[in-house]
Amino acid sequence: MVKAVAGRAMEPVLQVENINKHFGAVHALRNASLAVWPGEVVALIGDNGAGKSTLVNVLTGVLRPDSGTMIFAGERVSFSSPQEARAAGIETVYQDLAIAPHLDAVANIFLGRELTMPGLAGHLGFLDNGKMRRETEEQLTRLRVRIPKLGRRLVTLSGGQRQGVAVARAVMWASKIVFMDEPTAALGVAQTEMVLDLIREVRNTGIPVVFISHNMPNVFEVADRIVVLRLGEVVAELDPRTASIDDAVLAMTGARRRDARGEGAVVG
Amino acid sequence: MASTQTPVAPSLEAEPKPTLGQRLSNAFTLLILLAIVIIFTLLQRTTFLSIGNLNNVLIDTSQLLLLTIGVTFVIITAGIDLSISSILILSAVVAAKVMIQFSGTPEQVAAYSFPNQAMAIPIGLALGVLTGIVCGLVNGLLVTRLNMPSFIVTLGTLGVFLGIAQLLTGGTTVAGVPPAIQQDIGLRDLFPWPLFGADFRLIPPMIIAFVLTVAAAVLLNFTRFGRYTYAIGSNMAAARRVGIDVNRHLLKVYALSGFFAGVAGTFDLMRFGTASVGSHQSDNLAAISAAVIGGTSLFGGLGTIGGSVIGAFIPATLRNGLVISGVPAFWQNVAVGVVLILAVYIDQRRRSAEERM
Amino acid sequence: MSISERCGAKASRRTIVKAGAGMTLAATLFGAGHLGTAARQDKTYRIAFIQGVIGDNFYITMDCGARAMADALGNITIETQGPERWGQELQTPILNAVVQSKPDAIMIAPNDTTGMIAPIKAAIDAGVPVLCVDTTIDSDIQLADVSTDNVEAGRVAARGLAEAIGEKGQVFIVNTIPGISTTDQRSQGFREEIAKFPNIEFVGEEFSNNDANQAAAIVSAKLQSDPELAGIFGTNLFSAQGAAAGVREQGKVGQVKVVSFDAGPTQVQDLKSGAADILIAQHPGDIGQIAVQLLHDFLTTGNPPDPKKYVTGATVITKENIDDPAVARYLYLSDCANYKLSDITPQEVAAPAEATPTA
Repeated sequence: MVKAVAGRAMEPVLQVENINKHFGAVHALRNASLAVWPGEVVALIGDNGAGKSTLVNVLTGVLRPDSGTMIFAGERVSFSSPQEARAAGIETVYQDLAIAPHLDAVANIFLGRELTMPGLAGHLGFLDNGKMRRETEEQLTRLRVRIPKLGRRLVTLSGGQRQGVAVARAVMWASKIVFMDEPTAALGVAQTEMVLDLIREVRNTGIPVVFISHNMPNVFEVADRIVVLRLGEVVAELDPRTASIDDAVLAMTGARRRDARGEGAVVG
Repeated sequence: MASTQTPVAPSLEAEPKPTLGQRLSNAFTLLILLAIVIIFTLLQRTTFLSIGNLNNVLIDTSQLLLLTIGVTFVIITAGIDLSISSILILSAVVAAKVMIQFSGTPEQVAAYSFPNQAMAIPIGLALGVLTGIVCGLVNGLLVTRLNMPSFIVTLGTLGVFLGIAQLLTGGTTVAGVPPAIQQDIGLRDLFPWPLFGADFRLIPPMIIAFVLTVAAAVLLNFTRFGRYTYAIGSNMAAARRVGIDVNRHLLKVYALSGFFAGVAGTFDLMRFGTASVGSHQSDNLAAISAAVIGGTSLFGGLGTIGGSVIGAFIPATLRNGLVISGVPAFWQNVAVGVVLILAVYIDQRRRSAEERM
Repeated sequence: MSISERCGAKASRRTIVKAGAGMTLAATLFGAGHLGTAARQDKTYRIAFIQGVIGDNFYITMDCGARAMADALGNITIETQGPERWGQELQTPILNAVVQSKPDAIMIAPNDTTGMIAPIKAAIDAGVPVLCVDTTIDSDIQLADVSTDNVEAGRVAARGLAEAIGEKGQVFIVNTIPGISTTDQRSQGFREEIAKFPNIEFVGEEFSNNDANQAAAIVSAKLQSDPELAGIFGTNLFSAQGAAAGVREQGKVGQVKVVSFDAGPTQVQDLKSGAADILIAQHPGDIGQIAVQLLHDFLTTGNPPDPKKYVTGATVITKENIDDPAVARYLYLSDCANYKLSDITPQEVAAPAEATPTA
């Protein structure tokens, strides 16, 4: 398997092996394998078309793999829809801010999972806004996401604050693992910093985070482990404490793949 | 929100501008309406602000109000329903035909005798409303199953539903409806006491319109249905990602629009005692512009029932005041058009101010 | 509104607009009835004229007749309103608002024979007498009806068309919206009269929804299916305009004779260009004039009109007689600049109640 980390007693939350995915003639994922342990931040990096998003889409139920095994929370699973993956405790934060900008933070965090009033009113679909509001406040406080006023429509907030709400939503509902596809791509420097802090906050709650990014400094700043994909294969795994950005770039482009292996990265 | 203002929070951005602009502009639409009322009241020594006249405006606007409320839901989902005017006509025609059919034999009806009208009228009204719902479902199915733009679908059904109404009637006004629908139901004054003067009439269409408007506001503001309506219009992909059955919800929204148009159709029988296929043909645009005046965004995600109510009453009040003032009809069009542009301009200004960061 | 609005062409509209803004001020400062010819009278009466539809040469001409009569009488002012399109749901709010302005009387061309009964009844209940012009309602609550004898006008059209086509061939009607008393009666009169010609075959009637484009499409289609068509009767302005356009598009000008009801500027042009062969002109100016005369008499004496029905005539206009001043005076107008009051009186056109059955 992958690098055996000393002292890691727990089972991985998610373990996938030999995943293959074709899009017509394109072999998008070649025997990709990945394991994620509780309380770690794993960065998925790779050039455009390396298969990062495809891998995440497979893991979150958006795409079905052609072959391969997936063990989640100790059981072999096969998600046929994102809803199934979500029901199992997997949440995803998308690059393009999958929020409803005209709704406020409370409505967005509970979107699709609204709490209704007890009794008949609930059966008629009446919302328990007070309860949703309280739980949102708690969640945002826990994650230290600061927004000016809870009742404001997200369109009036900054990009970072909006992404904060999106992450808070994912974390709120993710009991097992959170995936983030380029969560900082649309953000400025300060806002990116806020999201990176948020990723650490999530990790500190024990829930692992898998995130895709192009931004090497960000990756090295926040990741515990870096997994490099190239042409659909997992070609290297780097430890950000020992590897350099150059190493990562070289692994991504494949120029010194042999050397990269030699430097302690293990091919999956 | 003291609890969310954690000082260590990594929030480095400047606080965005408060929502004052938004509140102001909602209030502004109301201000336009109030200004219209005040101007006409000052201008008219006579009776613009009389109970009788306000009563007239309420009655005359009840149909447009229902269409506007229904289409507001559709527009909030970033769709459009152009077919409501034809749904109105078709529902009225079906209701009228059913009433005639069930109220007696053709000979009895021809002799203006309607032995079974007590049964025929409720059946007719129910089937008229049902027709509206079915038409709305047809729109919804075409939009969701064929994945076609609502503009095209409802432009098509605008013609289809009107054509069906014309086929059912041979193009004529449906005559021979039991007069009880008008005299005993539609025009019955449910408030005969002279508390507000003799000119005040509380007729069933007003009450129906009022109750349905309140119900629509509750539905949009306090229920999951309303929440999904906004979410779909705000970001349909996001709504799908969180597991909302978008197609199913849109189907319901178009059915709701059809329902409101169907009820508005029965008002034709209640007020005029006839169903005329030649009328109402521009009501769809009137309703859509009323919703837009009221702050509903054609791009979806924004809109309120309160705004739509104000939006429906602005042109109606303006026209009423201008007619009383004796201003020629062509100038009335100019005035209504100017108000439409003004209201939407202010709305846009507010929105861009709000979204500036 | 006490400012006397003369039929001064476009000026009259400008006056009204200005009046709309300054009227109240003027009236408040100088007192009602201060301006215009009305000042000489003890009391001025406001008559509201609610047209069937605004912007129609027929109703404009009727307005000219009404205003000319009002000027001649001196103590009447006319305020004109009307819906943009034909429709009871559009005309009713206007009628309601007009009633709120408390005119002394209303003359209205109702948009629906049944649907407008309740709104007109409400106006009468509010104390405003209502007289129907042109169209009517299925009721006897109105003070009186002044209209063209449309059945007779339909007969006139049939005779004119029969003569133009040599009393043989197929003929066709392009009607407007079903359920309108006037046009249905024209159609009825035409069909009754055309049946008297053994060699003429009546091949049906279509409805244009008062839309010239639809009328043109109908006629184009009809000329495809019945290429031998010899004559078409368009029962109102837009239907006839569309019929003429359809004939022109199909290249059948001259071969298909078109009888156009009404005599607006476009129809006169059609007549001159040969697209239409006969125009049946109503006398809308006379209708407006008589209506105002009747209302004036009622308002000043308190005696309701007797009888309750007045029918004005129709004039056949062809290329040959259009320049004759006696005929040309019946061409419809776009403004009232050159309108001359006719010397017609209500008594001359009073009709027994059963003369014109409603459709």
